[in-house]
Amino acid sequence: MRIRALVAKEFLDLGRNRAALVPVVIVTLVSLLIPFFVILAVPAMTGRPLGADPALARVGETMGLPRDLSPEIAVEAFLFQQFLLLFLFTPITGAMSLASHAIVGEKQARTLEPLLATPITTYELLVAKVLGALIPTLMISSAGLVLYLAGIAAFADSGVFAAVITVRTLVLTVFIGPAAALVSLQAVIVISSRVNDARTAQQFGVLIILPLTLIFIAQFTGSFLLTVPVMALVGVGLLVVWVFLTLLSVALFERESILTRWR
Amino acid sequence: MIAASALTRQFDRRTVVDNLTLDVRRGEIVALLGPNGAGKTTTLRMLAGLISATSGTVAIDGVQLTRATGDALRARIGLLTESPGLWDRLTVRENLHVYARLFALADGDRRIERALDRFQLSDHASARAAELSKGMRQKVALARALLHDPPILLLDEPTSGLDPEIARNVRLLLEEKRAADCAILVSTHNLDEAERLADRVAVLQQRLLALDPPAVLRQRLTTGRLLVRIAGDPNAFVHIAAGAHVDGHHLIVPLEDMNQQAPRIVSALVGAGAQVIEVRPEMPALEDVYLRLVQS
Repeated sequence: MRIRALVAKEFLDLGRNRAALVPVVIVTLVSLLIPFFVILAVPAMTGRPLGADPALARVGETMGLPRDLSPEIAVEAFLFQQFLLLFLFTPITGAMSLASHAIVGEKQARTLEPLLATPITTYELLVAKVLGALIPTLMISSAGLVLYLAGIAAFADSGVFAAVITVRTLVLTVFIGPAAALVSLQAVIVISSRVNDARTAQQFGVLIILPLTLIFIAQFTGSFLLTVPVMALVGVGLLVVWVFLTLLSVALFERESILTRWR
Repeated sequence: MIAASALTRQFDRRTVVDNLTLDVRRGEIVALLGPNGAGKTTTLRMLAGLISATSGTVAIDGVQLTRATGDALRARIGLLTESPGLWDRLTVRENLHVYARLFALADGDRRIERALDRFQLSDHASARAAELSKGMRQKVALARALLHDPPILLLDEPTSGLDPEIARNVRLLLEEKRAADCAILVSTHNLDEAERLADRVAVLQQRLLALDPPAVLRQRLTTGRLLVRIAGDPNAFVHIAAGAHVDGHHLIVPLEDMNQQAPRIVSALVGAGAQVIEVRPEMPALEDVYLRLVQS
């Protein structure tokens, strides 16, 4: 009940401060446009089809795509699948500013003290803050994902869409994406409740993108492949980390320091 | 109902509240007076369970306030913080609505309407908090503190920034709450308000300097004066008491103990042949007592 109350407040607040969502929208749009530019626009502009690149054609074959696909379609499907990883970044990077502001913002606005004077527990407060940042950004990135898939269906060669809609895509978008966002935001909330300035929280929060960037690069270079079992394992691992971070954030949240030492 | 025992709070090595023992009973208003930095806000925060004491205890209805009991006990407390702390982008009604849900009030909407009405906020219910004046924000914060009908009220400067009419309404409201058996601790700089409202006044300057009803405080801590209007020349009776002097038609006699000395003085005057027209005891203002306490 109290978590819902606070999440509802976060939505109301965000609804009146839509500028705070601009970073999420921009990152989503960029994630949406880059793949179409690279996969469809560049070959059209250069007149050199992607399937003609032997290295790309080889990587496409290793992804377990249907063997009856032409090299061109296989490469397109491979690249569209790889760019799906960008949608892991959108809720994280977008929600960073919201989450980093979560606790320190309440303190600076002097709204934290009356809030802490209610029966709300630290756990409820922190979970509400995570959900308040996660849900709207997930909604925006989901809308971006729908547009991405619709764009593939509309503009890519026929057969690419069917090749992209796989269990891997489903696990990546429905499980890994939200789990990664949850972990990242919880980590930013930990930071937000330990520093006394939103900018500092944001600076630290940016570091959370680093492991994802490494996975992204590893995928593209083929040095590490996220297969479905690996992804499922990563997803479970992320949820375990989230539980740990939630407990850690509750343990590290010092009402007293926040109320008495922060200015 | 709420009792602090030997409460001490230190920040680093600085003692902000020192060995404070204080209780606020049901149906009682206690005014907490003290200069800036005297530890009033820290005391309220400790009593509300927002920060812990370095040593000492707080008990609410006999239950000791600890980390484990704090969340549940806070539901019994209405805290008005130093700053109104409203969410600026939310309307007045929305601000109250969030708190109604945080306190899990089943009849939240009805209570919100009642609070809006009581604090004359109905016309501004749909205004965003950022658009409100300082006084209006204070009213919303008060409405929020009282929304869940808490039996204990801890109020930090409740009438600060309010116009005289609203401040009076707030005082009336607190009297109502006292009549409804609430225990109320009010931190204030307004000595006149403390005198009019409080059953007892606690003077705090890190440690508790005094805790008494205003009248007792004035009597106990400083001398009063007896003003006697006499037909004819009062100079003829100046010898009646040490320190007596004349001001116009009045004989003014300083007293250490009004209750004991005043009847004797009047009796001596009458015995000496004075025609007494009027006898008026004049007690020092609470302000004098307060200043003497905190300056000593």
